Amino acid sequence: MREFFQRAPIRRLLVILGVVLVVELITGPPGSNEHPVAGFTGSYHEAASYFGLFRTQRWVVFLTLALVAWGITEFWNWRGPTIRARASDALAGPRQVGEKRPVRVGFALVLLVLAILLPHIVNNAFWQSALVTYVAIYVLLAIGLNVVVGFAGLLDLGYVAFYAIGAYTTAWVTGALPTPPPFGHALDAFWAIPFAVVFVVIAGVLLGAPTLRLRGDYLAIVTLGFGEIITIFANNLYGITGGSTGTKQIPHPVFHVGPIKYTWGLAPVPYYYLALGSVVLFLIIFSLLQRSRVGRAWTAIREDEVAAESLGINPLKFKVMAFAVGAASAGFAGVITASADNFLFPSSFTLTFSINILVLVILGGMGSISGVVVGAVIIQVVQAYLNHTPPAGYQQPDLYIYVGALLITMMIFRPAGLIPSRQRRREITLYEKSHEGHPDEALLGDDV
Amino acid sequence: MTAENIFEVEHVTLRFGGVVSLNDVSLFQKRGEILAVIGPNGAGKTSLFNSLTGVYQPQEGTIVFHRADGRSMSVIGKKPHRVAGAGVARTFQASRMFSALSTFDNVKIGAEDHRGFGVVGAMLRGPRTRHDDRRSDERTAELLRFVGLAERANVLAASLSYGERRRLEIARGLATGPEVLLLDEPAAGTNPAEKLDLARLIRRVRDELGVTILLIEHDMKLVMSLAERLYVLNFGSVIAEGTPAEIRANPVVIEAYLGTSTEASA
Repeated sequence: MREFFQRAPIRRLLVILGVVLVVELITGPPGSNEHPVAGFTGSYHEAASYFGLFRTQRWVVFLTLALVAWGITEFWNWRGPTIRARASDALAGPRQVGEKRPVRVGFALVLLVLAILLPHIVNNAFWQSALVTYVAIYVLLAIGLNVVVGFAGLLDLGYVAFYAIGAYTTAWVTGALPTPPPFGHALDAFWAIPFAVVFVVIAGVLLGAPTLRLRGDYLAIVTLGFGEIITIFANNLYGITGGSTGTKQIPHPVFHVGPIKYTWGLAPVPYYYLALGSVVLFLIIFSLLQRSRVGRAWTAIREDEVAAESLGINPLKFKVMAFAVGAASAGFAGVITASADNFLFPSSFTLTFSINILVLVILGGMGSISGVVVGAVIIQVVQAYLNHTPPAGYQQPDLYIYVGALLITMMIFRPAGLIPSRQRRREITLYEKSHEGHPDEALLGDDV
Repeated sequence: MTAENIFEVEHVTLRFGGVVSLNDVSLFQKRGEILAVIGPNGAGKTSLFNSLTGVYQPQEGTIVFHRADGRSMSVIGKKPHRVAGAGVARTFQASRMFSALSTFDNVKIGAEDHRGFGVVGAMLRGPRTRHDDRRSDERTAELLRFVGLAERANVLAASLSYGERRRLEIARGLATGPEVLLLDEPAAGTNPAEKLDLARLIRRVRDELGVTILLIEHDMKLVMSLAERLYVLNFGSVIAEGTPAEIRANPVVIEAYLGTSTEASA
């Protein structure tokens, strides 16, 4: 009997069932003084409808999912090594000398045309605005953070600060803040873009220069602090930022050069095109950078900072560059959000926001531009869908449970992300190889 | 002191808290010389290397690096990348390659110029960037041929053998265009045949490329056959200096390596 429980598959099953139990309790109804165990008992009695398709007890659903997960795990353990060996070019495919990476221009153009037509395809007020507020802005933020986290390997938990600076710069330039705009007269929100970019880049350098001497965990903590400082400034500098009520008077952007004049209004579609244009611009900038001398220096620092230094690479300089370059797209995102919404509050720039962006980057595949875009689009579209047409019993904060579960699953099965960069995948494969051991060790102890 | 010397180390003392890692070390290296530093484990050899490359900052003394163009540089107080940029390349005891990159890219990163901020230039691939890029590629290919890794250019660095990794590190260091190459135990983990190849390669680096070699090594056979002059470190101090023959006959060195017999010290 003891031996039976010590068998690896059985132990894995028990672990998964344990997780199911915990998830049941977490997602169950709250207990109360009269019924302290209501959360426990209640979770098994409540029936809910799922995806509008079927209605059943929640535990049935969770148990089914658990068994499916267990089945997949066991199948993977049984067949996995063969499949991996067959499918993996992880160790076989470094860049060949003189090899021109196929830039799939045709494919990219098709996607671009699709993206341009998208608002007319969906043709629905909610989704048209969701494409801006849920998708395009987040894609812009995710590809920017990817430069910092994915290219240079720096964990930045305060990325929201750059977004906030972009948004507040817009408010300042357009005269929506208590503090007077630059040179005494307000500009159009469109002209906030250069200001915002300059400001976030300066902020990136100011934050980066002192903090990027730190490594790993320390850097993460300091950037987290920076994010908080910006929010607290926005909240407390009442005379400058308008305090916790923020501002509600940011005008819509106007593009006015010579005879050409275009005014963005309330309709979301023009903002979508503004955001799409920025996304395309930054996609081009970032992918060119990734393949350049600068991108290779980032790779070197990420892989081995000491070795990089011994080759004459100044790590601090290149890290600050990554910070500043990555911040630029957040500045753009800040301008677009602020001018599309017309308002801004300090409370929208939270730590949770930074972490959400980081999750998009990790899920998509750190260092892989296409992965990050796909990851961000998928998560954000799902989130928009769930908020717009919530299934019975779904509440907005529940999303974090599902995203968390997805993240854990991804880390087990696809640690390098949805569409990993070839290089990152090799790094992870090599790391696993250098720690010769069964991947299950981390979960189940070493006698598996 | 003359400009013939490439390194001049005077009275260098390096402490970590109460531990004295280098104690009043003075030494010099002539340009074009193959110099070796030997000593038992913990004698301070790698500390010396790290002080020469700017990784450690000694509390006392001076380290001066004389360049071929007549300019000199005080190493202490400089960051490693500055020292590397001035013409001091190195390899590491535990090899530190960019293991997820190809052999070619490993060397290419060394060959590229990392000064300046040219984000825009690097991005837009103007004629200058493309020209530099081609030059780096050519230089990389040339160096890979030189160290005998041309066939392995497209292989992932992690899949190279120990001996090949050592050669890769040498090529990567040479790619930065150094005047002096510091080799930290290049023969560690290699087999006898590879050791022979390595010794030949190191000599060719000096003879054909004119790069001065400073070497830390445990393998006595390699050191004695390769080095023209040696320093012996023990407990952070230089205890002997001389040609291989002199060192072999030096009683102080024998004592340091084999321990003291009571009658001899009396």
